[in-house]
Amino acid sequence: MTEDRFDELMRDAAHTYRKPPQPDLEGMWKAIERDSFSASTAGGGHIGRSKARGLSLVANRWVAIAATLVAGVALGRASASLGRTPVQPTAVPSVSVASAAPAARTDSTGLAQPYEVETSRYLGQTAALLIALPSEARAGRADAQLASRASDLLGRTRLLLDSPVANNADMRNLLEDLELVLAQVARLQDGHSRTDIDLINRALEQRDVLPRLRTAVADISAD
Amino acid sequence: MSEPDLIARVLAGDRIAARELYDAHSPRVFRLAFRLTGDADLAREFTQDTFVRAFAQLARFRGDSALSTWLHRITVTVVANAMRKVKRFRERETDLEDVHPIGSDGPESGYVDPVLRERLHRAIDDLPEIYRTTLIMHDIEGYTHTEIAEVMGVAEGTCKSRLSQARAQLRATLADLAPELEP
Repeated sequence: MTEDRFDELMRDAAHTYRKPPQPDLEGMWKAIERDSFSASTAGGGHIGRSKARGLSLVANRWVAIAATLVAGVALGRASASLGRTPVQPTAVPSVSVASAAPAARTDSTGLAQPYEVETSRYLGQTAALLIALPSEARAGRADAQLASRASDLLGRTRLLLDSPVANNADMRNLLEDLELVLAQVARLQDGHSRTDIDLINRALEQRDVLPRLRTAVADISAD
Repeated sequence: MSEPDLIARVLAGDRIAARELYDAHSPRVFRLAFRLTGDADLAREFTQDTFVRAFAQLARFRGDSALSTWLHRITVTVVANAMRKVKRFRERETDLEDVHPIGSDGPESGYVDPVLRERLHRAIDDLPEIYRTTLIMHDIEGYTHTEIAEVMGVAEGTCKSRLSQARAQLRATLADLAPELEP
């Protein structure tokens, strides 16, 4: 009886617990195709690791350069602002954490490796926020928390934009788009209107932000 | 065309072959992602991530297990890693009323007290991640213990033990509403 009753409940759960909606297979395929095949098949080449690896090597180089320069910009800004306002606990602590002990350790480019971790962390945190945004905002949850996180990430985005890492055109474009979106999220107030969210979603879609960000995160984490 | 042939063609850059693989496997990958997240937007993102990673790493697939098992292993990993980050942005539990609108039951469902059903759903949500994933894959999605063990990289006995623990925890949680379930 006990087992039967429980099995009955679980059979019911199979039909009612998080019942999957009809997926948009075509829409998902377009994004997958863009991320997996856009550059590699122009000449009939192979997909996969060779391409991803190539991108990762390029990414690694600018990530290393960016990370070092971000640290410099952050420290410069921090010291310049010391006399005016309290140092914001946004970019400075995270950079200083990365730069503290292992500063002497360098990779093949001669740049400090921990900065790569810091930049990877920034991209990962931004991706997590933007992926969670639609469902969180739709549910009206945690506006203040989202805005606070977005504000933190916005500051770090601007540090990256102020550094020579933005000399890389693709990265600069991505950072500029992230800056725009994060600024919109940071302004979200309690009880925001649906229009606010629609504007953010439109910016994300029109600029293809999430696929580009996802690719950047995957490239870095692959190494 | 056989699956190994399709894989070889995908590795040579054949988008049509890639689409065939995607068509064959994406519905189940999406279902699994949705069951594990309870959110259509996240499930969509994670399904895309799964296939982007799968195509990027396809050369590493040796065929020791079924391609579906390999894909579902990527899915479970992608979901687990991402959900840890996503959960940081969540202050409250999922509102199950949003996820399970009234009248969404399949025709096969018998009558179950809605209060008991909701408690069960919440109890599943509250299970530790490895128990929840095992229970969802076995009892909700119908995977075998062998498949789950391969996907999660554990022994079959471990998988059975986790399922048993998960069920016991659910029954204990529901005991006040349904005393006959008490283990």
